[in-house]
Amino acid sequence: MRKHPQIILLSALLFLLAGCSSVVGRFLARSVERIGAPITSVPEKIQDPIRPGAELAITWVGHATVLIQIYDKVFITDPMFTRTVGMVMRRNIESGLDPSSIAKLDYTLISHTHLDHFSYGSIDMLPQDGVLLVPFGALPYTPDFDHRAIREMRPWDVFEEAGVRITAVPVQHFSGRYGFDIPWARDRGYTGYVIEYRGKTVFCGGDTGYHPELFKEIGKKFNVDVALLPIAPIEPRDFMSHNHIDPGEALRILEDLNAKVMMPMHHRTFEQGFDPALTFAVEQLQRIAHEKDLTDRVLVLGIGEQRLFLTGTDAND
Amino acid sequence: MTFVRHAIICLLLAWITQGAIAQGWDTSRRLPIWLPLQLVPNLTWYSSEAATAFGFEWEATPLSYSFGINKHVSPWSSFIVVPTYRFTGSVELNVAGQLYTSPIASSHTGISTSLMGYVPLVERGEHLTFNLGIGMHRVAGQTKIFKAAGFSTLFGFLHFNIKQLSSPTIWITSLEFRFF
Repeated sequence: MRKHPQIILLSALLFLLAGCSSVVGRFLARSVERIGAPITSVPEKIQDPIRPGAELAITWVGHATVLIQIYDKVFITDPMFTRTVGMVMRRNIESGLDPSSIAKLDYTLISHTHLDHFSYGSIDMLPQDGVLLVPFGALPYTPDFDHRAIREMRPWDVFEEAGVRITAVPVQHFSGRYGFDIPWARDRGYTGYVIEYRGKTVFCGGDTGYHPELFKEIGKKFNVDVALLPIAPIEPRDFMSHNHIDPGEALRILEDLNAKVMMPMHHRTFEQGFDPALTFAVEQLQRIAHEKDLTDRVLVLGIGEQRLFLTGTDAND
Repeated sequence: MTFVRHAIICLLLAWITQGAIAQGWDTSRRLPIWLPLQLVPNLTWYSSEAATAFGFEWEATPLSYSFGINKHVSPWSSFIVVPTYRFTGSVELNVAGQLYTSPIASSHTGISTSLMGYVPLVERGEHLTFNLGIGMHRVAGQTKIFKAAGFSTLFGFLHFNIKQLSSPTIWITSLEFRFF
């Protein structure tokens, strides 16, 4: 990529502002460098992702955005369809679904207030006749969307209607949105969710670090069919480890939850750390899964790829 | 004296609305962050036929009403205004003090108050907001009414404002760094 002088200058300025040794500064500078970079397209996007008659369908839209269909109910996690996060961090690859193809949406689940998980512009691209669930502490960051209900969920709060049961479950992360608000929001504003409907259970990890007891407790309470787990960014590990699990820890959570399968997400879409390659996390996941003989329980989807789960069997779409 | 009266009314309103703005957070956690960030000055350029001056401005928001935030929280804020409240659409009362590097009619200082409305344009205002307002500016013993217009971007952190004071015409251009 040809680097423009003004981009280099801005990168240098951001680098200096955030502190020369700071990971945040290096990360910001790297994000600015990517402003002019091309976005890889997703060919042959699914035009109608909602499948009549499907018991459980999972579509990875990219990053932490997963479209979940359980029978007649449609859920989306952390919708992110915009070209950038916070005007600075640019996509590596476009979203795997066109938001206009999502004709029906019953529940929108926001895991935390960070810009890459709570995108106002993306929510505005989606139908808003359903329910919006946000973690405790996120209401002051929630615009007046048109959803028929907006609910703030504390850990272990349950939202229940028409047979759908959504439980907010604790995870290990941090919150805030604008940087300066991180200290005052440190113990709130983030959550995971467990969706239960007609015998199917999906765990949505949002963004989390590893905690040895947390996920075992969730595993005791729920019979998880599919666990949606973040696997990146990995590096620099000492900086990331408290808030972001790596692939090995994702597999430990799979075991802690005793979930039938896990689907990795929160990788490849944006450069959020210093992983050497966009495929670094998923390759590491597959390698460790092979070593631990967990390959059958790891479902790796491409961006825009959908998986249908049918009674007694499952099939790739 | 008018300005002092207005300032007292603002503070009273702020005190009255304090109970409504807790929004589930402990103010003691916010204050140590709000206070130092308030020290970051805006950059302002005063321009009239008689004088031009570059200056620094410190601005606070005693009272804000957000019409763009969800209905589950109070729309009122005082001093500590979470950016989402402002850029999703709001009306607010601002007070500011200016320090000019060269004199304007023998004075290096000014004070102003304004009523400003913010309208979200892109991404609920997080990327771009338009603002329009009126206010009073007092420098060297003279108080003048001004009209103001501008826009903000980058989560409302960066504001560009132009104020026009009439008879004689004075322009005040500001680059503002708003955290709250």
